[in-house]
Amino acid sequence: MQSNKPLSKNLFITKANNIMKSLRLSVVCLLAILVGSCAGTKQTSENNSQQSQETAAYENINFPALNDFQKPEVETFTTSNGVTFFLVEDNELPLVDVNVNVRTGGVLVPNDKAGLASVTGTVIRSGGTKNISSDSLNTLLENNAASMETGISFTSGGASMNVLKEDFDRMLPIFIDLLTNPVLPKEKIELAKKQQKSAISRRNDNAQQIASRVFDQLIYGENSVYGRNTEYESINNITREDIVNFHKNHFVGQNMMVGVVGDFDASAMKQKLQESFGEIPAGEKTNLDFPDVDYEYESTINYVEKSDVEQSIVLMGHIGGMRDNPDYAKLQVMNKVLSGGFSGRILQVIRTELGLAYSPDGQFGMNSFYPGKFYVQVRTKPSTTSEVIDAVRKELKRLQNEPITEEELQNTKDQILNSAVFQYDSYEKVLSQQMSYAYRGLPRDAFNQYIEGVKNTTVKDVQNMAQQYLHPDSLQILVVGNKEEIGEQLQKYGDVNTIDVSIPEPGEGQQQVVEGDAQQGAKLLSQMADAVISDTEINTLTISGQAMMRGQKMPMTMTIDFPDAVTQTIQGPMGKVQLNYADGSGTMKMGEQERPLPPQSIKAMKSMLNKSFISIARNAGSMNPQFLGTEKVNGTTYNKVTVSVEGSNITLLLDQETNYPDVMRYKQFSPQAGKQVTIENLNSNWTIVDGVAYPYKQVTKQDGNKASEVTYESHKVNE
Amino acid sequence: MLRRALQLFCVVLLGVCFAYQPANAQSLEEFEKKVTEFTLDNGLTFLIIERPVAPVVSFATYVNVGGANEPVGHTGMAHIFEHMAFKGTHTIGTKNWNKEQKVLQQMDETYQKWLAEKYKPEPDSARMDTLWSQFKDLQEEAGQYVKNNEFAQIIDRNGGTGMNASTGYDRTNYFYSLPENRKELWFSLESDRFKNPVFREFYKEKNVVREEKRRSESQPIGRLIQEFLTVAYTAHPYGRPNIGWESDITATTIEDTRDFYETYYVPNNITIAIAGDIKPDRAKELAKEYFGDMKSAPEPPPVFTKEPEQRGERRFTIQGQSQPFLVMGYHTVPEDHPDFQALQLLGNVLSGGRTSILYKRMVEKEQTALQVGAFNGFPGTKFETMFATLAIPNREVDVDTLESTILEEIENIKNGEIPKEALDRARTNARANLIRSLDSNSGIAQTLASAEALRGNWKKVFSDIEKLQEVTVDDLQRVAKKYLIKKNRTVGTIVTESEESSEEVADAKQ
Repeated sequence: MQSNKPLSKNLFITKANNIMKSLRLSVVCLLAILVGSCAGTKQTSENNSQQSQETAAYENINFPALNDFQKPEVETFTTSNGVTFFLVEDNELPLVDVNVNVRTGGVLVPNDKAGLASVTGTVIRSGGTKNISSDSLNTLLENNAASMETGISFTSGGASMNVLKEDFDRMLPIFIDLLTNPVLPKEKIELAKKQQKSAISRRNDNAQQIASRVFDQLIYGENSVYGRNTEYESINNITREDIVNFHKNHFVGQNMMVGVVGDFDASAMKQKLQESFGEIPAGEKTNLDFPDVDYEYESTINYVEKSDVEQSIVLMGHIGGMRDNPDYAKLQVMNKVLSGGFSGRILQVIRTELGLAYSPDGQFGMNSFYPGKFYVQVRTKPSTTSEVIDAVRKELKRLQNEPITEEELQNTKDQILNSAVFQYDSYEKVLSQQMSYAYRGLPRDAFNQYIEGVKNTTVKDVQNMAQQYLHPDSLQILVVGNKEEIGEQLQKYGDVNTIDVSIPEPGEGQQQVVEGDAQQGAKLLSQMADAVISDTEINTLTISGQAMMRGQKMPMTMTIDFPDAVTQTIQGPMGKVQLNYADGSGTMKMGEQERPLPPQSIKAMKSMLNKSFISIARNAGSMNPQFLGTEKVNGTTYNKVTVSVEGSNITLLLDQETNYPDVMRYKQFSPQAGKQVTIENLNSNWTIVDGVAYPYKQVTKQDGNKASEVTYESHKVNE
Repeated sequence: MLRRALQLFCVVLLGVCFAYQPANAQSLEEFEKKVTEFTLDNGLTFLIIERPVAPVVSFATYVNVGGANEPVGHTGMAHIFEHMAFKGTHTIGTKNWNKEQKVLQQMDETYQKWLAEKYKPEPDSARMDTLWSQFKDLQEEAGQYVKNNEFAQIIDRNGGTGMNASTGYDRTNYFYSLPENRKELWFSLESDRFKNPVFREFYKEKNVVREEKRRSESQPIGRLIQEFLTVAYTAHPYGRPNIGWESDITATTIEDTRDFYETYYVPNNITIAIAGDIKPDRAKELAKEYFGDMKSAPEPPPVFTKEPEQRGERRFTIQGQSQPFLVMGYHTVPEDHPDFQALQLLGNVLSGGRTSILYKRMVEKEQTALQVGAFNGFPGTKFETMFATLAIPNREVDVDTLESTILEEIENIKNGEIPKEALDRARTNARANLIRSLDSNSGIAQTLASAEALRGNWKKVFSDIEKLQEVTVDDLQRVAKKYLIKKNRTVGTIVTESEESSEEVADAKQ
């Protein structure tokens, strides 16, 4: 396994001519040491440093001026249908790259269709065009070492084509065809939706993913476009018509910027581009509207349980800012002091001094279209969770309360200014930067302005920024981790808000109201209750028998402690498994190992318990029973009654003589199938012990197919 | 290596295909001309690639040592040393090296005594406590001389970007880029850290390493891959975790790590590549000036252990709170074996791109897999490696279905069902991917340094591409029959724990 050191996340880089001398300070200090007084130097005479600590060799190097760098000129022009082009010639390799930027994004999609933009972006490419099928396109491209891709993100859409110079003329019409006339076929739409749903089903597997998602919801609100999740339901809601319209409305000339870099002759290229992209309908320019974020600073402590991880993930922060804020440069200097790679204070303190984490990081995020977020993120062992929270908060306060030193300021500036040359170290970067600024509505010299701003930033500015923009006493704190190992560490930050991240199932909360004969329903249900529990109070029930699953016989015992506890033991192929559930939490024991049940299983156990006919019988008075007439099954006519449990309907088919529920039906979500399935329980061989009737044979069917069979040998009441 | 596997998936399956770029013989020859190679008297080899596109330079140092070279009982040591290489030198990162050095020495001796006591059959816990508190005091004392992260900060404030290092089974590499006018700074810092390493904050850094280990083990796929390697390899060090076993991390001392450094960080075991705005003559001058006095040393010892022939299929299942995963692997051959290229192309034909066999069938047609990838060279390439297949099922699919589909397609290959067109396509794209990796200074430096350090000749990067031309459809069939056989196979899966348990509940209860 490779292991990497952390990389600094936000490197701000600039033009070649902005390079500054960086060793000014150390050279000054060196001189000062020689004359015996350097205020602020760490090398004090106590350490005898002058005598015993030799100077590092690198300090004697003189750096020449940076070689001159001719930044390539980007040629721009616009066609009558609104497409703007950006061209740069680069003859190093015989290639041409085309990048199309489309003014669109997931932000335009309503919450109930979340995922539409991304599915559209996928299917434009995967579905091929009327003139070239998907399979033929794939083959053509791979045979020629070429590629075409499309995609739509939250804030923009895009398409790219990378081809050999000599294939350009042949490939360009296909690329235009793909952008303007994609087939968007049903089967590729279904595939893309299926893949999205697979991804949803996996989103709680990785603690990091949970943390980022939940933190966004804390900052922006879970129902905002910025915090919402793509769900099974919202994917199900997407129709082909939605996709066709999304493409048609946004992939138009007015919305397109096209960048071309590579080995070509500019004037000939210009001609070709004008002809081909000129065909694209002009359409209407998309109004890319980003809703305002109404953020109120508050202190919260939030927790998500993830019992199979060995680290706590701690995220803490609040809203950040906008890119066009005049304080941008000063804030980014502050940002770098706090979390700029190896030099940043967070890494210095959390990793190097305290050894509490491998790659702590953070950022004062400033987006172009909507406010970014300020955060610090640390992964640490569970036992040091609160130590990390306290240490981070302390660093934020220190930045507010104490001015940074001139040396730290200078080092931070040097970092930004000296690395500026990397901003434009390839032709592709020069091009993509200019397009990106144009798309985001930033002035062309935004980067130079930023560099000037960095140069002018003072120690006082950094402290002002920290005081104005950081809120160490109003932080939203999120911890994802293992409750047992974290213990009570979070309580000191306030009432811990435990967040349930279980994945909503489609159809949940959309129960159909069933109307039948309520009076008759109540009467029949009461008869059923009397039949299964006659003249007794049932507190506990123990049943034992054999379960048949997938052709295997497994002895099992179950004790229900009403109303809300179950212990179940199954002798399975992997050995004995014991499940304990009580009052909303539970454990699983295999051999000597005991561990907490995942929330999904707890939910399932609780639901099974509430849906059992004994629970229904015990609560017969509050089930809203409705009589719906009769139904004939295998020659027997039953009374059909529905009851409502946990917001979903259960249909009971009651024997007209015995009143036993011989058949029970309900819908539930199957994680395996990814949809609602109909569960049907067939009960027979009813046996009475101590006034309680239990079916000694139970067959369970799922969507009509037999899923399992259980036979019981005994049941005991209140023992 | 996990990253490599996942990247492969990204390329193949998520539709974010990397641009394929061409590589005709001519452009490769052109490229070879740009490389200047020289070796210093002490055996240290340099590769200089002048590429004055912009006034920047990228540096890559490749040391021909990795997790596979670690002595028994000290897994994770190569990686710990990599961390140490960022801790400074005798003149960087310290306030007083003379004093610091003495305390570090005492601290390590005390830790060794503590370890000795700890491993006694009946350790004296009082003595252990005393030694431990002495050790902690010395650690604190040593800490007083430390200038935190000074080494990295010098690079940061001189505009260094992309600074990082990584430790694999086969090699350890260190890299970053600088503005071209500061190239001498790199020569100074890089020579200093490898001539005068310090083991500053050694025991504190182990905690950082442990967090790194926890991070990887907190991910389902991280756990699966680690378990997979320990099951697949019984003897060869590819089966050991690169990050180290917890107990080995504890048992490793400064003295052990210094021995390791002295054995492997020697000039004839290191290759350095520099690409960008730099003149080869100037580079040579600086190389002599800064690295010329690095002491030459004997050739480091080889890895003796070979993985014995596998006698039967191995399988394991992890019950986890995660959606399912499948990983399968077959023992194959190292990179310089004649069958390597055929196996590599077989991986491409199976899963490299949207036209590949497994992608078309499993992702598009049957829609059983969210992602699938197959490639040769896992977890390394220097020693006898594995042909590995990783697959992620779609929601309603279990891992058994994926396994049987993959096995079926492997059988088809053995029966000779490989279109020549697919093979040609795989070759075209392998070539294109190579050129793609050579389009940036850092890509060039790393690709060439790696080949020179691990395989003794950077030109193999290009000659391998030529070798691909010689592979035939029959070769693919032959290697499939030879290596992809049941008794040579290891299969590991994650199955979802919550699903199983809730299903059992559902069955047993009404």
